[in-house]
Amino acid sequence: MCDHTNKNIYLPYLATVEEVIDETPDVRTLKLVFQDEQVRDSFNFRAGQFAEYSAFGAGESTFCIASAPTRKGYIECCFRSVGRVTEELRRLEVGDSIGVRGPYGNSFPIEQFEGKNLVFVAGGIALPPLRTLIWNCLDLREKFGEITIVYGARTESDLVYKRELKEWEERGDVRLVKTVDPGGNSSEWDGRVGFVPTILEEAAPGAENTIALVCGPPIMIKFTLPVLEKLGFTDEQVYTTLENRMKCGLGKCGRCNVGNVYVCKDGPVFTAKQVKAMPMEF
Amino acid sequence: MGKTEGCKGLTKKYLPLVLTPKEFKFLFFSKVFVSSVLSVLSVANKGFRMQKYITEQNLNTLLDKLIAEGKRVVAPRMNAGTPLYEPLKNSGEIIIDQLPRRSGKEAFFPLCEDIMSYTKEGQKVELKDIDPSRFPETVLVGVRPCDAAAIPVLDAVFSWDYKDEFFLERRKKTTIVGLACTKADDACFCTAVGLSPSDTKGSDLFLTPLEGGGYACETFSDKGETLINSHAGLFSEPNNAKTVALAEPGTEAFDLQKVKAWLDEHFEDPAWDSIATRCVGCGACAFVCPACHCFDIVDEGTEKSGKRRKNWDACGFWKFTHHASGHNPRDQQPKRYRNRIMHKFKYYDDKFGQTLCTGCGRCIRLCPVGIDIAAIVEEISKK
Amino acid sequence: MTQTIDTTIYAAVSEAIQAEAKRILTAGEVTAVVGYAAARRKGSAQPIVITSAVDAQKLIFTPACVNNLAVYLTKAKKEIPKSGRIGIVVKGCDLKALVGLMGESQLKREQLYLIGVPCAGVLASTIQPDTGLTSDSIAPKCLECDAHLPQGCDFVPTQTPVSPELEKKYAAEIARLEALTPQERWAYWKEQFSKCIKCYACRQVCPFCFCEQCLCDRNKPQMVDTTPRPAGNTAWHIVRAMHLAGRCAGCAECERVCPMDIPLNLLNRKMAKELKELYDYEAGFQVNDKGPLNSYTEKDDQSFIK
Repeated sequence: MCDHTNKNIYLPYLATVEEVIDETPDVRTLKLVFQDEQVRDSFNFRAGQFAEYSAFGAGESTFCIASAPTRKGYIECCFRSVGRVTEELRRLEVGDSIGVRGPYGNSFPIEQFEGKNLVFVAGGIALPPLRTLIWNCLDLREKFGEITIVYGARTESDLVYKRELKEWEERGDVRLVKTVDPGGNSSEWDGRVGFVPTILEEAAPGAENTIALVCGPPIMIKFTLPVLEKLGFTDEQVYTTLENRMKCGLGKCGRCNVGNVYVCKDGPVFTAKQVKAMPMEF
Repeated sequence: MGKTEGCKGLTKKYLPLVLTPKEFKFLFFSKVFVSSVLSVLSVANKGFRMQKYITEQNLNTLLDKLIAEGKRVVAPRMNAGTPLYEPLKNSGEIIIDQLPRRSGKEAFFPLCEDIMSYTKEGQKVELKDIDPSRFPETVLVGVRPCDAAAIPVLDAVFSWDYKDEFFLERRKKTTIVGLACTKADDACFCTAVGLSPSDTKGSDLFLTPLEGGGYACETFSDKGETLINSHAGLFSEPNNAKTVALAEPGTEAFDLQKVKAWLDEHFEDPAWDSIATRCVGCGACAFVCPACHCFDIVDEGTEKSGKRRKNWDACGFWKFTHHASGHNPRDQQPKRYRNRIMHKFKYYDDKFGQTLCTGCGRCIRLCPVGIDIAAIVEEISKK
Repeated sequence: MTQTIDTTIYAAVSEAIQAEAKRILTAGEVTAVVGYAAARRKGSAQPIVITSAVDAQKLIFTPACVNNLAVYLTKAKKEIPKSGRIGIVVKGCDLKALVGLMGESQLKREQLYLIGVPCAGVLASTIQPDTGLTSDSIAPKCLECDAHLPQGCDFVPTQTPVSPELEKKYAAEIARLEALTPQERWAYWKEQFSKCIKCYACRQVCPFCFCEQCLCDRNKPQMVDTTPRPAGNTAWHIVRAMHLAGRCAGCAECERVCPMDIPLNLLNRKMAKELKELYDYEAGFQVNDKGPLNSYTEKDDQSFIK
């Protein structure tokens, strides 16, 4: 057995796949429970942090911890199978073993968000890094003001966490605006049609005493930031998470840097102000 | 086919002894001057702890004794025609007059090492950790100042925040015996980055060859003292022999602060294209560098069992930053070469207050397309 | 005994290259010229791409002009703009690579303006570039060169290189290795490959390693272990040798750039020897659509089927 008191920073914890959920045809959620009881109790993380997930024999892959820190006893990750490791992770079935190293990186300064309105803006597979925070805030609902979620994907089937979207829609205390690109909608689609930034502009959440949290493909972020600016958000009011290729996650292996900023240590959570100060290397 | 690393083409350069007032002012206010004064002061403050003398024969005896004691003695030796820092079988293997092709970092940060192993049985996986306490006690001998100086520089990255025990445990168990450098060529530029052929940075024990044979020994740490004390009979009191003529690299000191100031402002600059269009994108420069420390982590084995390994990687490879999605933030070679220069002369300084280059010149000698980092940094310092 | 090799023509050759590059750039016959320029270290040279006639004076030819510049014209080097006709300075050995690339539909003759170099030889290594060219320091490929004066170029300076008859090192070394038992040969290569650090300098300088994604960089599936260990190192060098068989014309850049001194061109020369014996084929002499390993004829040797 693996001794977790040892000092090997590259040694993962073992976890068991407890549930496999297909979000879209190629995006999958794994619900994981640590095999070591002590680790299960002591593994604490904050919304925004990430981990390195092992498919033994294939290697490690980096994703955010997609479940909320307020939900104890398990963690979830959500990934699209595009590479060697993610394809291997996709082959895992309930009861299989997986490796987890983490939690790594900084997190959303949730304490600073208390008493404020929150606007979540996400596109496609980029909802998971915000979903951890959304549930974190919903589980402590009374601490926050209005919560707006603008979420879009290319097609209806590309939307992840469909069950939860429904749940959020049905809750009286969340405003969910979901959208798909034109052509990606069926006749039963009850959401909006259009690109996320356009829909965000139409939804027009107020900027006063509000924090915006944006996560999505670079092109979406590029068009979303000017919309937020137009709505009156300053760059300090806008948060996002970056992802770059990582190996160690520990500030050693030297590849995730954007200029002198190490995404694994200084990030992955940044304000728009910080991102704008970075060179274009992400 | 023979590749030689002699000192052909070495032009001795004598520093002018008289400076004009303008030159003096420039020198006085440059960071190089200030830092060299500071380093002289700090050496004077810390200084050596103990001074001894050892003959060449006794040095060999020392190495053989250490090997007999079961210590790993790593020193420059020939491997199939190539000089490398490798464990010696006996003192006869040591070659003292050639700079090894790769640097001394691999005594702490090997090309490739296992970091764990896994076995799968049905749905169960078992992991086996590596026990760093099994890393052998090591004496790293004959280390050139440019190689020895890189080791404390690497301490910063491997020990900040999370501690890399693979590096640090070896570091703890290794005594570094530095050797003053007597040969330089025009690729050498240790003096340009604030070091020198007699710099003792990183050495626990430092050897300086003396006229008439043997070495002056100075210790700079407990480890160095322990090494001498445990074999005191092989050392004698220092004699008054003169030091042999040390190497004199011809490259003038860079104003590293000025270089960094330019880098701070010029992430985007047409210069990167002209510098790095010729770069063919191999990893030779990074792999022979004493300070480059980027690595990959990979699993190798079968479905059932295998190892997880950590091995050297290089920012010159396109694959280094390539996302599985196909996106690559450094999609062109000049962007990758820019990262190399930035990491060495800006990012590492931003993070750890140090320069990630000791001027050994290996990347210059071995670049397939003749990219000359000393020329590039010199050019930047003149911008 | 060390013999000096006469390179006095190189000064005049350099001047002729400068004048021709200036002429074709001025006349707009080419958009760029890929050549060699002097670098900081005494005696050193490095590849340069010039697009303006005023820069033509930077071009040189010396014993340190070792690179096979053909590599810059392949699709693997995306950073070199490839619009219009491009001038390139080529030694006879480099020209063979261009011929091969044309045969593989990677380049078209009319897109190139070939400035051929009358070449008496270049250095084996530029670790110390300020080294005189002698029978000891000369690249072993030059000892077996049959193209001191490149054929079929658009321009070749008029000087005639003097190339003394010297011992053929590759032929001798291949004969030595062939005489070994398989076990001894294996031990030899095992020792050599054990030095490999997987820096891929050999691949990156090779004009024929233009694959969009090298087999060794692909991981679905992971055909070749990426770490510098015996399994992956051996696999890589075998993949490399096989993939170059019938294509490599012997510029020996792989061997020159190897920071670990692995005699890589020996593998390539052995492959070339086999192809010569089996198919009477030599790479680099004429533009062929398909090399012998890419085509089948009934006359092919089939003795390997047992």
